[in-house]
Amino acid sequence: MIRRIAWREFIEFIRDGRLPLVGGLFAVLLVVLLAVGWLQESNLNSERSAAQGMDYNDWLNQKNRHPHDAAHQGMHVFKPIPRLFLIDPGIDPFVGSTIWLRSHRQSEVKFRPAQDLTGLQRFGTLSAAWMLQILGPLFVIVLGFGALSGEREQGTLRQTLSLGVAPQQILWGKALALAGSLALLLLPALLLALTGAGSAIEQDRLDLLIRLILLGVGYALYLGIAIFVTLAVSAVAPSSRISLVLLIGLWIASVIVAPRIAADLSKAWHPNPTGVEFNTRLDNDLEHRYRKVWKEKLGTEKRWGPELPLNRWGEALKVDDHAGYEVTDEHFARLWDAFALQQQSQEWIGLAVPVLAIRGFSMGMAGTDFFHHREFAQAAERQRRLIQDTMSKDLIEHADPLGNQHFSYKAGSSLWASVPPFEYSPPKVGFALRHNKTSLFVLLAGLLTWIGIAHLAMPRSA
Amino acid sequence: MTDPFRTFLLIFRHEGRVLFADRSLWLVTAILAGLIFYALYNGFNATTIRERTITYLRDLQQETQRYTIAQLRRIMEGKELPDPFANPADPAAIGSGMGRHFAVMPVLPLAPLAFGQSDIQPDYYQITYRSKANFMYDTEIENPWNLLTGHFDLCFVIVYVLPLLVFSLSYNLLSAEREHGTLKMLLSQPVDLSTIVAGKLAVRALPVLLCATLLPAMVLLVLRPQLFDIKNLFLLVLFIAEIIAYGLFWFVLALLVNAWGRSSGTNALVLTTSWVFLVLVLPVILNVIVSTIEPVPSRTELAARTRVIAIHTLNRYNDLLSADYRYTTQPEILLPKDGKIDVPIRRKGLFLLQRDQDQELQELLKQFETQLAAQQALVDRFSFLSPAIVVNECLTMLAGSGTRRHLHFRELVDRFHREWKAYFEPRILRGVAIKEADFHSMPAFTWQEQSFSAVVIDALVRLLQILIPTLLMVWLTKRWLFNYRVI
Repeated sequence: MIRRIAWREFIEFIRDGRLPLVGGLFAVLLVVLLAVGWLQESNLNSERSAAQGMDYNDWLNQKNRHPHDAAHQGMHVFKPIPRLFLIDPGIDPFVGSTIWLRSHRQSEVKFRPAQDLTGLQRFGTLSAAWMLQILGPLFVIVLGFGALSGEREQGTLRQTLSLGVAPQQILWGKALALAGSLALLLLPALLLALTGAGSAIEQDRLDLLIRLILLGVGYALYLGIAIFVTLAVSAVAPSSRISLVLLIGLWIASVIVAPRIAADLSKAWHPNPTGVEFNTRLDNDLEHRYRKVWKEKLGTEKRWGPELPLNRWGEALKVDDHAGYEVTDEHFARLWDAFALQQQSQEWIGLAVPVLAIRGFSMGMAGTDFFHHREFAQAAERQRRLIQDTMSKDLIEHADPLGNQHFSYKAGSSLWASVPPFEYSPPKVGFALRHNKTSLFVLLAGLLTWIGIAHLAMPRSA
Repeated sequence: MTDPFRTFLLIFRHEGRVLFADRSLWLVTAILAGLIFYALYNGFNATTIRERTITYLRDLQQETQRYTIAQLRRIMEGKELPDPFANPADPAAIGSGMGRHFAVMPVLPLAPLAFGQSDIQPDYYQITYRSKANFMYDTEIENPWNLLTGHFDLCFVIVYVLPLLVFSLSYNLLSAEREHGTLKMLLSQPVDLSTIVAGKLAVRALPVLLCATLLPAMVLLVLRPQLFDIKNLFLLVLFIAEIIAYGLFWFVLALLVNAWGRSSGTNALVLTTSWVFLVLVLPVILNVIVSTIEPVPSRTELAARTRVIAIHTLNRYNDLLSADYRYTTQPEILLPKDGKIDVPIRRKGLFLLQRDQDQELQELLKQFETQLAAQQALVDRFSFLSPAIVVNECLTMLAGSGTRRHLHFRELVDRFHREWKAYFEPRILRGVAIKEADFHSMPAFTWQEQSFSAVVIDALVRLLQILIPTLLMVWLTKRWLFNYRVI
């Protein structure tokens, strides 16, 4: 019976032109987006990996020079773009892609793409994820707002119920029809994405496949919620018109308005410092720690002063750096934890506003969320410290008998070669899942709740 | 009762009573007022933080200067020996970070109304003689997730939410009357359909638009006294005019859809679709088109160029960098003598290195600004396609947080950076010591606001970009109403 109801409904979608017209447009746009994204992504990636290779080459072929100056030249590392960036660019437009690893201080990941764009960027990033998250529910509403209210208006609901069809069967039949129509539209996009993933040359094809499947599951849960919300409202609304107006109101409140309020709330709960505050606190703590450590290990509070002979500067550099590492780590960890907590509290708000949960889950699976970014930033910082430590170790070994000629010491290519190239492999899907347990749970809970509500909302008799 | 104005008033009063009774007008106005208050609260919060930061930086700069001058005095009086890395007499030290000189973009009185780009583009830089690559890429700290979401400011309420509230009041303005059969009765009286429609529209538009304009204006006038000068008040008037025009656009669109003569349900669908298209989809697509037509150069390329230049300059000045360094053990060499100072050769090398890096990067860095400006020009040219873009651009511009003003700031910073370098270069290369009097005569960053008339003209053009399509829709509505089928 469920299948029969679903089929009838489906035929109706096609007959009244809603599915072919709106859905066709939706599907075509989606496929175009994926194709364009794919092209862009492979261009960017090849450019970055070429740049990375050249950078290391130049590092190796440096002239003989003072190790500290070599650390000033440093290395550039580029964040690889995950394959699934083409589905969900996540926060990547708002975080940098490049770090210049240099001496003295942990550097920020620079060059946010959003900095190079006009204010239009703030309207949203055109991507498959954007379409599914924002327009997907609206599409469900357009198809399903009259699913039950329309039948009641036409009097067909009473007839169906009088035939002994259970309300649950009608509900699931309608839901099946909506889900089937969505699947029909999303299938080409999914196939395209799968082909893209299959053609990937990298060895992580399995990882990619699992991520893609999980993305599919996430969006299925999300759109499932949209389906049951639509049916529940359609079941209780006195007329199709009211059902439509209510649903559109709900859509706007939850997809457009609520995320911004949630962002404010999460910031109020887990505040993060401004740039000036962060840097001032970091500077103060660094200063304090430097003094303490210099006193303990080098016997003077004055950094780089006359009390310390130049031939101990290599050693001092190492002491100084290591003192800095701890303080910097503390500060960055606190900042990044605040960001993570902000995100997590918003994912919990996802119980009421599912778009927040799917957004986190989707970018997590695509590898474009903050956790992936943090992994990269940390790996880059490890590389920077490796360079630093190698350079100061060399300076200690060559603690010069040169007196004031400290800066005349020049290291050569063997020292440069002792720093390995920066190799970064993005975290695996297990990592992504661990960080997105909440959002997956929230989506699942949301779906079950709304299935329950839709059941309760179904009329027992007409 | 043939006088159309009297009919209009009658309808206005009657419809007002009806809406008053069914409470929908109250509800919508109350929701709008609530959203506006929340948005203003957010806006004022953010503005306070920005202003506090600016004050902090100004104080820091002054305090550092006072401290440095005092230190210089002590050194000149022989009470203290100079530190090779922080010698106030050394132009190479003062010209780099030690001077703590900031270039700051002030916050405008209308800033609480729109965040614009202020959370992505910095509104201050610390200026040193080093290459711009060292300070120009800095950004404000903000959770990227929240950047992606966007802020809840007045601009958001107006651009996104106002049209929907307008729809909720007027999507069935005429269709409901027809569906209830009351329109037939109404038109059997000697009244013109246009007059009825105008009356019904006025009842709805008046409270909504008053709420959307007067509330922010009043809050702003109370909380930001710096608004009280002719120019700023004029900007506020433009801001209000823009909101009214935008609100009218959506009211007239609702009318037009009603005049088309379909059912209330269809009206709601058509209006939502037009909103989705104009507010959600079109800006996002235009963004892609604009950045494809006028792409900025690749940042990866910039990084590669920076590296190559760094290598060349390091090689070029390798000898200077590895010169002897007796300054830590013999700091007295660093004491100025007869206005001259022995700038450590290594520091001279570092200065030259940065100078050359800056010169060689200048061209490429300039391209980023040029391309961003070209993108903005394209946005301006095609924004008429969607009133949402027009209003968003205009409101952020009037609030002083648009792309243009940030580009203008970067240009001023660039100019000042050159001035700063030109001041220190001869002093570092010739070893001229910094004197106390120099602190008062060295270049200081002064902000110049964008040309007022350019802003006003820009705003007026954008006002027209909304009013022209609105008038076209009015004309079309009148035509359609003329042929309106009541049954």
